[in-house]
Amino acid sequence: MPDNHLTQRELILLLDSESHSGREHAHTCAFCRARLMELEATLSDFAELHRDSLNPLLPPIAVSRAQLRSKLDIVTAKHFNWLHPVLLAAACLTLIAIYMHPADRSIPKNNLTPGETRNVSLGDVCREENGQDDAAVRTVPVSLRQQVFREYGIDDMRPNAYEVDYLITPELGGATDSIRNLWPEPYSSVWNAHVKDELEQRLHRLVCTGQIDLATAQRDISRDWIGAYKKYFHTDKPY
Amino acid sequence: MLEQEVVSLFEQLRTPVLRYVLSLRVPVHDAEEIVQEVFLALFQHLRHGRSRANLQGWIFRVAHNLALKHLSRARRQASEAPPSQTDTAPGPEERLADLQRQDMLLAVVKALPELDQWCLSLRAEGLRYREIAEALGISLGAVANSLERSLSRLARAEESRKSYA
Repeated sequence: MPDNHLTQRELILLLDSESHSGREHAHTCAFCRARLMELEATLSDFAELHRDSLNPLLPPIAVSRAQLRSKLDIVTAKHFNWLHPVLLAAACLTLIAIYMHPADRSIPKNNLTPGETRNVSLGDVCREENGQDDAAVRTVPVSLRQQVFREYGIDDMRPNAYEVDYLITPELGGATDSIRNLWPEPYSSVWNAHVKDELEQRLHRLVCTGQIDLATAQRDISRDWIGAYKKYFHTDKPY
Repeated sequence: MLEQEVVSLFEQLRTPVLRYVLSLRVPVHDAEEIVQEVFLALFQHLRHGRSRANLQGWIFRVAHNLALKHLSRARRQASEAPPSQTDTAPGPEERLADLQRQDMLLAVVKALPELDQWCLSLRAEGLRYREIAEALGISLGAVANSLERSLSRLARAEESRKSYA
């Protein structure tokens, strides 16, 4: 039997075939094989418990699937006959309007939404991560949302089309009561609200692990959040 | 056809994704909405010709982000709502109260740091370490570290239980 047994970490990597040298050792070492089996059994027990405790809560899939199909139909708008003269004319007018006013709402207007912070310490910001202190953070009131839409000249207030989002997220110390930190962020564009969510979480993690300071995170996200995404995710387009 | 592909992926992954979102303690109705949103985002993702590499990891990542955002908003609202509006429905733990070992496991897992709970739950849903790393936006090493911590604690708790049994 070999003397140098695998460490716990090596065994864990081996569980997912991430350690080639470990595999060779385990092949010849009964002690490590037994430990490996114990770890597998623990994970398997937890997986079983995880499923058993949550499965009773799951609604049947049929209704959810039908809902998804219906939403996809709306997204693809396949129920429209685009050759219908009225729809064709509307589409042309929309295209002309976009051409005349190429507003990309993925990016907030700097004069309306420069970003604003509230007075918080690093400790406050990082404590919010655990949900222990959300008292300073507030939802966007309806009146403020409507004001944002008016400022940006948006008539289309479908709840699913835009997220009235904080430019500097409250989790990074962004102001929660100022229209200058809010803008209507579309869900449908390439650089959409979901992409920005990912940036916010990445920045929060970097700040709270001391890799960047809070002021840098606030500045980067407020000046050019798309540029910040490219910088911190090392990519030119969203994942 | 893209629409059909998304529905197929939904049929394949809806249950594990929904279960994972529920494990983050999102109420069922909201969790279902989040899963719908995830697959609509997937449709847009594929329609724009973006990467198909590690799609499962991508799906869990979007679900994870949406769930955290939902929880964050819910917490803010809860801080403004009267206490009577809090959810008093029995959780999974309570339904399993008669099973001593499962209770112990759940208690240990609940006491773990959030990141460790997420890694364990994603592993329980069958994700490989690289997919967990993608879903949580962390490195493969961080996933291994997290599982190492969790498994050590679970093993210690199991030993302790056996010695008292």
